Amino acid sequence: MSPTTTAPRFVRADGPDKVTGSGRYTADLTLTGALVAKFKYAEVSHARITKLDVSAARAIPGVFAVLTQDDVPDVRFGPFVQDRTLFARDVVRFEGEILAAVAAVDVPTAQRALNAIVVEYAPLPVVNDIEAALSPDAPLVHADWSDYGAAGPIVRDRNDASMASIAKGDVDKGMAEADVVVHSRYVADGCHAAPIEPRAVLAQWEGNKVTIWTSTQVPFDARAGVCETLELPANRVRIIVPHLGGGFGGKCGFHYEAHVAALARATKRPVRLVFSRREEFVAPDRRREGIVFDLETGVRRDGTITARKVWLAIDNGAYTADAGFFSQLAAMHALGPYQVPHAFAEAHLVYTNHQPSGSVRAPTAPQTCWALESHTDEVAKAIGMDPVEFRLKNAVATGKEGPSGQVYDEIGLVDCIRAAADGAGYGQALPDDEAIGVAIGWWPSFSVPSGAYVKIDGDGSGQIITGAQECGTGAVMTLRQLVADELGMQAEDFELVYQDTSVAPYDMGATGSQTLFNNGRAAVAAAGQIAEQLKQLAAEQLEANPADIVLADGAASVAGTPSRSVPIAELAGIAAGGELLIGHGSGAPPAPPEVVGATCVGDVGMTAWVAPQFSCHAVRVKVDRDTGVARVLHVSAAHDSGTIINPVGATGQVEGAVLMGIGQALTEGTRYDDEAKQRNAALLEYKLQTCADAPPIDIHFVEIDTPNAGPRGAKGLAEAPNVATAAAISNAIAAIIGTPVRQLPMTAERVWSTVNGIEGSPA
Amino acid sequence: MSFVIATTIDEAIAALAAGARPVAGGSDLVVGARHGKAPLPGDLVAIDRIEELRCLEFTDAGACIGAGVNHHTIEHHPVLSTVYTGISDGSALVGSPSTRNVGTLGGNVMNASPAMDTGAPLVVLGAEVELRSASGSRRVGLAELWTGPGRTSARPDELCVAIHVPAPAARSNSAYLRLEYRRSMEIAVVGAAASVTLADDGSVNAVRVALTAVAPTIIEVAGLGGGTVADVAAAAQAAAAEQARPISDVRASDAYRRHTVGVMARRAVEAAARRALGEPVSVPVNRAIGIGAAS
Ligand SMILES: Cc1cc2nc3c(=O)[nH]c(=O)nc-3n(C[C@H](O)[C@H](O)[C@H](O)COP(=O)(O)OP(=O)(O)OC[C@H]3O[C@@H](n4cnc5c(N)ncnc54)[C@H](O)[C@@H]3O)c2cc1C
Repeated sequence: MSPTTTAPRFVRADGPDKVTGSGRYTADLTLTGALVAKFKYAEVSHARITKLDVSAARAIPGVFAVLTQDDVPDVRFGPFVQDRTLFARDVVRFEGEILAAVAAVDVPTAQRALNAIVVEYAPLPVVNDIEAALSPDAPLVHADWSDYGAAGPIVRDRNDASMASIAKGDVDKGMAEADVVVHSRYVADGCHAAPIEPRAVLAQWEGNKVTIWTSTQVPFDARAGVCETLELPANRVRIIVPHLGGGFGGKCGFHYEAHVAALARATKRPVRLVFSRREEFVAPDRRREGIVFDLETGVRRDGTITARKVWLAIDNGAYTADAGFFSQLAAMHALGPYQVPHAFAEAHLVYTNHQPSGSVRAPTAPQTCWALESHTDEVAKAIGMDPVEFRLKNAVATGKEGPSGQVYDEIGLVDCIRAAADGAGYGQALPDDEAIGVAIGWWPSFSVPSGAYVKIDGDGSGQIITGAQECGTGAVMTLRQLVADELGMQAEDFELVYQDTSVAPYDMGATGSQTLFNNGRAAVAAAGQIAEQLKQLAAEQLEANPADIVLADGAASVAGTPSRSVPIAELAGIAAGGELLIGHGSGAPPAPPEVVGATCVGDVGMTAWVAPQFSCHAVRVKVDRDTGVARVLHVSAAHDSGTIINPVGATGQVEGAVLMGIGQALTEGTRYDDEAKQRNAALLEYKLQTCADAPPIDIHFVEIDTPNAGPRGAKGLAEAPNVATAAAISNAIAAIIGTPVRQLPMTAERVWSTVNGIEGSPA
Repeated sequence: MSFVIATTIDEAIAALAAGARPVAGGSDLVVGARHGKAPLPGDLVAIDRIEELRCLEFTDAGACIGAGVNHHTIEHHPVLSTVYTGISDGSALVGSPSTRNVGTLGGNVMNASPAMDTGAPLVVLGAEVELRSASGSRRVGLAELWTGPGRTSARPDELCVAIHVPAPAARSNSAYLRLEYRRSMEIAVVGAAASVTLADDGSVNAVRVALTAVAPTIIEVAGLGGGTVADVAAAAQAAAAEQARPISDVRASDAYRRHTVGVMARRAVEAAARRALGEPVSVPVNRAIGIGAAS
C-alpha cells in the first residue's frame, strides 16, 4: 500500500511558512540592542576547579557581563535527582559543563572574553565505562550523591542514580523448566537526537518580568526551570517558542533559558544565544543513552517461553535529566511485549563522565528492543523455530498477561506481526546476501493533564489557544481538524495560537508522544463547550430544542429538517453582542489499568501502560560481506497506534522514525576517547542517514478499537515507529552472516569484524 | 583584506601575483574556514565567473577540462562519462547535488586532500594540470603536484587553468569506487581507481591502479602487470592492501582500511575491464555494482 496516495490532502497550518522561508525560528529573531551570549565549557571530563577567574574577561571593552555560579541563586535542581547547578560548582563532570556565560557586543568580543577566563583544575579520575562505574571501588562521579534531593521512589546507590526492577513469578524455577536457555550480551553505544536547528535562546526583561524565546520542546518545563533556578514566580516568566526546527527529544528538559535570562538581567539588555553544531553535540541532554545488556531466556522445544532474566546498565552521563525513569522503562523493553510467566529484570542508571542522557525519541527503547529482539532470534534459532512463528506464539495479545503482570485489553500486536511480514514478502526466496529481519516493539501512551481554549469571534473565524508544542510531528496542526469536526466547521476556519506559556494553559510539551493523546482531548473538550453554546443559540433562532440541533457544514440545523438552518458565522455574530463564544477544556486523563497479582514493578514512571502502542517492522537488508556495508532495501512497518486521525501526519512520523532507526542501526553512534570526550561531535563524522539512503517504506496501520485511549481512540505515534527498526535490521544481518553483531551501531567495520571473527570493539 | 571578482584568467593571475588566493566554488576553502581548519585568506580572488575556465575540449590527444568545470557537468558529460569514465565516477560521488554544482575539478585537485574523489581516476588516466602565472604556463603530473595533505608544489601565484587527460587507448576504460557508509554527504573511507587496457583475447594488457585516503596523498599502486582480468584484479587487491599506509581514526581502523582498499582496487579493475569490453556499467560504479548494494 502506498499511504501517500491514499491519504487525503492535508495542508499543515505551519507548512507554507516553513516551506517558503517566511517562518521565523528563534535564531532569526533580533531585538534592538541585543547582546551575544557565549558559554565557557569545561573541556575536561572530570576535575576539581582550583581557580576560576573571570576578572580579565569582565574588563574587556564590549563585554557586558560574565556570570558564574557565584552570580546566580545557589540552587541544585533536576527533575528526578537534584544533582546539577546552572554553572559548575567546585567540580566539572563532563566536557560540556558550563563554567561561565558571557554577554558581549558581538561574537569576536565574546570569544575574546571566553579566552580571557582563567580556569585551573586538579584532575579527578575519569569514569568512562558503564560497567566499571558500578564496581564498589569505582571513583564516584558525585561524591556527595547521598546529600542530593531526589524524587520519592528513586532507589540510588553511589554511581547508580536510579535502580529499577521487575519481578514476576520465580525466574529460577522458570529457567529450570526450560529445554534450552540462551544467554546473550549486547552493547549499545549512545547516539544523538541531532535536530537540524541548533538550540537558540533570546531573553528580554521588562521590569521584573522576563520573556524568553527559545527552541524548546517543553515550554512549561523550561518555565519551571527558570522559576526554580532564578527564584521567580511562574507568572513573571513567559516562554515563547517560535517555529521549532526539530527536536527528536534533544530539546526536552530545561536548559540555558535561565543562563540567558540571567545574562539579560545583569546587562539590562536583550541577550541572544545561538549554538554551533559542535555545541549541539556536546551540550547536556542531547544524547540517547548507551546501554549494556545481559539477557537470558528459557524456552521449551515447542517454542514456549518459560522464563526471562535481564540485567542492564544505562549510561546516565554526568547528571540526571529526565533519565530518572529510564531504568524502569528499559526494564520493560528488555522483557518485551511477550508472555513471560517468570520474569526478572534489573536495570541501573549509571553516572559516568559523559554528556548527560536525555529523552531522545523513545528513550531506551530502540537500543533495548535491538538487544532483546536480536536475542529473541537467537532463542528461536536455538530451537530451530522460524522467528516470525516464535513471535506469533509468544507475543502479548488481547486478554493475555505481559511481563509486568498487566493483562491487555484490545491490542493489535499479532495483527502487526502478520501485516509487517506480509508487506515484506517474508518467506520469499532471496539471494544469499539478502535477508528479511523481523522485530516487535511497544511503547506506552502517556496520560497526563493538558489544557486548551477555543474561541470563535464575531465573524465566525476561530482560534485554538493551546499550551501544546509543535516540534514538527504535526500533532498540534491536527488539533484544527479535531476542533472543526466537533463544531461542524472546516479546519481552515481555525488559526492556532500556541507555544506561549503566558497565553495558553499547561501542556507537558512535545514529549512522550503525548500531544494528540492529551491536548487533543483538551481541545475537543473546549470545542464541546462552544458546541453547546452554538446549539443553544441556534435553538433560539430556529425555535427548536437544543438537543435537536446538528452542527455540520458550517451551519446549525434541526435534525431531520435541514432546511431549518442558520450559518454558524451568523450565530457567532449574535454571540458577539451577548455571551461570547469561549470554550476551555482539559478533560480527565485516562486512568492507568489496574495490575493485580504477584508482580513488582518499580513505580518511578508507570506501574501499567495506558493504551500501549505496538509495532512490528520487517526489513530486507543486503550485506556486502567483503566490506561489511549493510544496506536497507525495503521496510515494512506495521503499527497499532489506535485510530489514525491524520493519515498524512502519521505516515510522515513512521517514515521519519524508520530512517532515524536505520541511522541508529548502521551509522549513528557517539565515540568517546580515553578521556571520555566525544570523538565525532560533527555531522561529517556522526553519520545521519540522508534522503539518498532512504529505502521504500510500506506502512500498515492496524486500527484497533482501543478502550481508554485518546480522542477517537487514538494512541501516540511519534516515538513508537523508532523502536523496532534497528532490531529488525540486526536480525536481517544476523540471518545473512550467521551471527548477530553485538554492538550498536552495527557499522560496516563491526559487521566485517563479526564476519571475520575479529575480537574487540572496532569503529 | 580584499575580494576581487575576476572575469578573465589574466585578471585572476594578476590578483594572485598581488598575493590573493583563488576561490572557485568555495566548498573546501570557505567550509574549511568555518570549521576552523584554516582562517579564510585575507585577500581572495573569485574565479567562478571566468568563462575560459569552464572550457571542455576533446582532441585526438585527449581531454582538456577547464579548472572551473563543476562535478555535475563531469558526472553527466556524454564523452567524459563514457570515455574518461573513472573521473565521472568520482565527480558523481562528491557531496550532494548542491556540492556537485558549486564544487569544481580545479578546486578538488588543488585542495589536495588524500580523500578527494577525482584524484585516483585522474592518476590512473595519466592526467596533468596546467598551471599558469604571470611568467607563463607549465604542465605538472599529479604525483609531482601533490606533496602532502592539503599541500601542492604549485606556487602561490600559479592558477590551475585546466586538467589535461591523455586519450585512453583502444579497448580501455576506467572506473573509480569508494567505500562509503552512506550515499550522499560522505567522505571516502578508502577508494580506488583503475584504468585497464585489454588485449584482443580479453586479457589485460596494461593496468594502472591508484588509491584514495590510505596515505598522505593519493598513491599509485606499483608493480602491476597483465594477465587475465581475474588474476589482475586479485593482484591489484593484494598489492593495494600491501602498499596502503592507512591510519586509524574515528572513521575506520587501519586494518579495516587496508582490507577494504584492496576490495575497492579489485572491484575497480573488474568494473574498468567490463567497461573496456563495452559492457555498460553506469556512473557511478558505486551505485551500479553497489558498495553495500545497488537498489
Ligand atoms: C558538503 C560537502 C561535501 C563534499 N563532498 C566531497 C566528496 O564527496 N568528495 C570530494 O572529493 N570532495 C568533497 N567535498 C569537497 C569539495 O566540494 C571538493 O573538493 C570541490 O571539488 C572543491 O571545489 P571548489 O571549487 O569548491 O574549491 P574551493 O573551495 O574554491 O577551493 C579549494 C582550494 O583550491 C584552491 N583553488 C581552487 N581553484 C583553483 C585554481 N583554479 N587554481 C589554483 N587553486 C585553486 C583554493 O584556493 C582552495 O585552496 C565536499 C565539500 C562539501 C562542503
